[in-house]
Amino acid sequence: MTLDLMTYYRHMLRIRHFEEACLSGVASGEIHGELHTAIGQEAIAAGMVGILRDDDALVSTHRNHGHGIAKGVPLEPMLAEIFEKETGLCGGFGGHMHLFDPDRLFSTTGIVGATLPVALGHAYAAFLDGSDAVAVAVSGDGGVNTGGFHESLNLAGALKLPLVVLVENNDWAISVVSSEVSAVGSAERAPAYAAWGTRVDGTDPAAVAVAFAEAVARARRGEGPAIVEATAQRFRGHYEGDPDLYRTPELKEAMAAKDPLVIARRELEAQGIGTDHLDDLVAESQAQIDAILARVRAAEQPDPSRAHDHVFTGGVA
Amino acid sequence: MTTATDTPMLSPSFNLSRVIADAIKLEMEADERIVVLGEDVGRQGGVFGSTRGLQKAFGDRRVRDMPISEMAFTGMGVGLAMSGYRPMIEIMFVDFIGVCLEQVYNAIAKNPYMSGGRVPMPVVIKTAGGCIGSAAQHSQCLWGTFAHLPGMHVVAPSSPYDAKGLMAAALRSDDPVIYIEHKGLLLSKLGDFPHGAEVPKGRYTVPIGEAATVRDGRDVTIATLSASVRDALVAADELAGQGIDVEVVDLRSVVPLDADHVAASAARTGRLLVVDEDYLGFGLSGELITRVLELLGPGALRGIARHGVANVPIPAARSLEQAVVPGSASIAAAVRELVARG
Repeated sequence: MTLDLMTYYRHMLRIRHFEEACLSGVASGEIHGELHTAIGQEAIAAGMVGILRDDDALVSTHRNHGHGIAKGVPLEPMLAEIFEKETGLCGGFGGHMHLFDPDRLFSTTGIVGATLPVALGHAYAAFLDGSDAVAVAVSGDGGVNTGGFHESLNLAGALKLPLVVLVENNDWAISVVSSEVSAVGSAERAPAYAAWGTRVDGTDPAAVAVAFAEAVARARRGEGPAIVEATAQRFRGHYEGDPDLYRTPELKEAMAAKDPLVIARRELEAQGIGTDHLDDLVAESQAQIDAILARVRAAEQPDPSRAHDHVFTGGVA
Repeated sequence: MTTATDTPMLSPSFNLSRVIADAIKLEMEADERIVVLGEDVGRQGGVFGSTRGLQKAFGDRRVRDMPISEMAFTGMGVGLAMSGYRPMIEIMFVDFIGVCLEQVYNAIAKNPYMSGGRVPMPVVIKTAGGCIGSAAQHSQCLWGTFAHLPGMHVVAPSSPYDAKGLMAAALRSDDPVIYIEHKGLLLSKLGDFPHGAEVPKGRYTVPIGEAATVRDGRDVTIATLSASVRDALVAADELAGQGIDVEVVDLRSVVPLDADHVAASAARTGRLLVVDEDYLGFGLSGELITRVLELLGPGALRGIARHGVANVPIPAARSLEQAVVPGSASIAAAVRELVARG
């Protein structure tokens, strides 16, 4: 199932503008910790839109904003959490790497590779429930070399659990080139786990959607786990503040040519969509995020007296 | 801990592991959201028998044998809890926690906090600790390690009565609970326990976070937990013959730590010895003594001492093991030394 390119373009614009709003929070000091954006990888999250249900679990990584948006997490509480506000999704206790929306079974972890075991638990819950819900674990190309990736896919294959692993392959695990330290790609590992695997161009939202929808449909039908590997570029450093000296200016220039928003816009123009209309879309998306950002900025940080809340249900011990 | 005389009791010929299995079974009957995942928990019923009969009673969906993939199945506990289940994850020996500590301390322990209270983690990590002559990688306690990390209740029962009641409390808790059974006690018969040996057949709980005085005394308070309670009671009997009257407090949990109970006891006896089968440094003994002194004031007690595994790995040879792991003889010696100081 795919959406039309114009719709994907709108989704990608929303994610890009959301990420840029986060960048502004780092520049202003409102976000005082690490921030990892997926600028350059928007087509992957956009391709996921509309495929998952609220009762499907999605467990994402440190680079998670686009996935939250794709899962339908409301933008304002998510941005407020990233901006450390009491109006945030988690009241300012989690921050950008630790987003939780239990109403949509969306959660994240800042530990590379740790998404798969959690998603496997959701998948086992679906099995126990007798439901056709699926569980999606997002991983980067670095996370696929953790032990948890192997353990979880082995178990999912053995029990035919509905685990879909979405690998966002930007080929850089911080400064280590993943293809240089991986025996094979992620999709090629699928047969070892009795899983279905495929690799797609992660700058093409429709291609991602086709592959992801197929993986989800198989898992829903009880056909077991799947690995969807989507290749894309990470334009920014690993985190904001990363000097990113491990990538040459020439390489960065070549990467910029694979900007999914530029590619989509070019295609839309080729389809005869007017520049003015596209500019209006950009302005509309920007205005929407700007309005949210203004409200987020006006919100308060959580009261310091609450720092000991939530350790235990009955208080601190 | 009193029970009516007509309450049906478990047979004194049962061993402790069977009591624990019984506790889990009763809670699983009452709450179908409880599922058990672990190595050898199903077909074998646990390497010590503390999950025996569960798979037969509840099927292999709720009691599932896992591959040796602790990272995966501990993380499954996180996803199951987020999906509304109440998983019990068995880590066969606590020593193995290193391979899956990530999901325990970064997810199970922290998700409730990181989510601003929106994502509770009703997960029990059941594991066996304690010294059984199996040396450095199979004889640790490690409750201090869990206790140091925020977000987990940590219990380590010493008696069959507490083992059942604390297991029930753990399975009913909405907080993560690390339940550390002692390998050296699991195969002991109920009738062999010096305290808490009478176990009702029905359901009951022991509240998590409340210490219990298991022997009254006037001269010195020993605060300890798990199998060391039995050793402390043996030491106390020996010391009674030498004119030293020992009070023994069973902490029962490390988190929450019932320092109030210990402080009240130590204030009466004037002396406090903390006995800990876990590592001495940066652990339970230092924490408990600090909290007691914070409650009573720095000069409130005549004597304070601690006796634990000085920071060395557990050695293999019996002669070396006995040199570092507290036992009844070394506990008695530590008490005599404390009393002799004044």
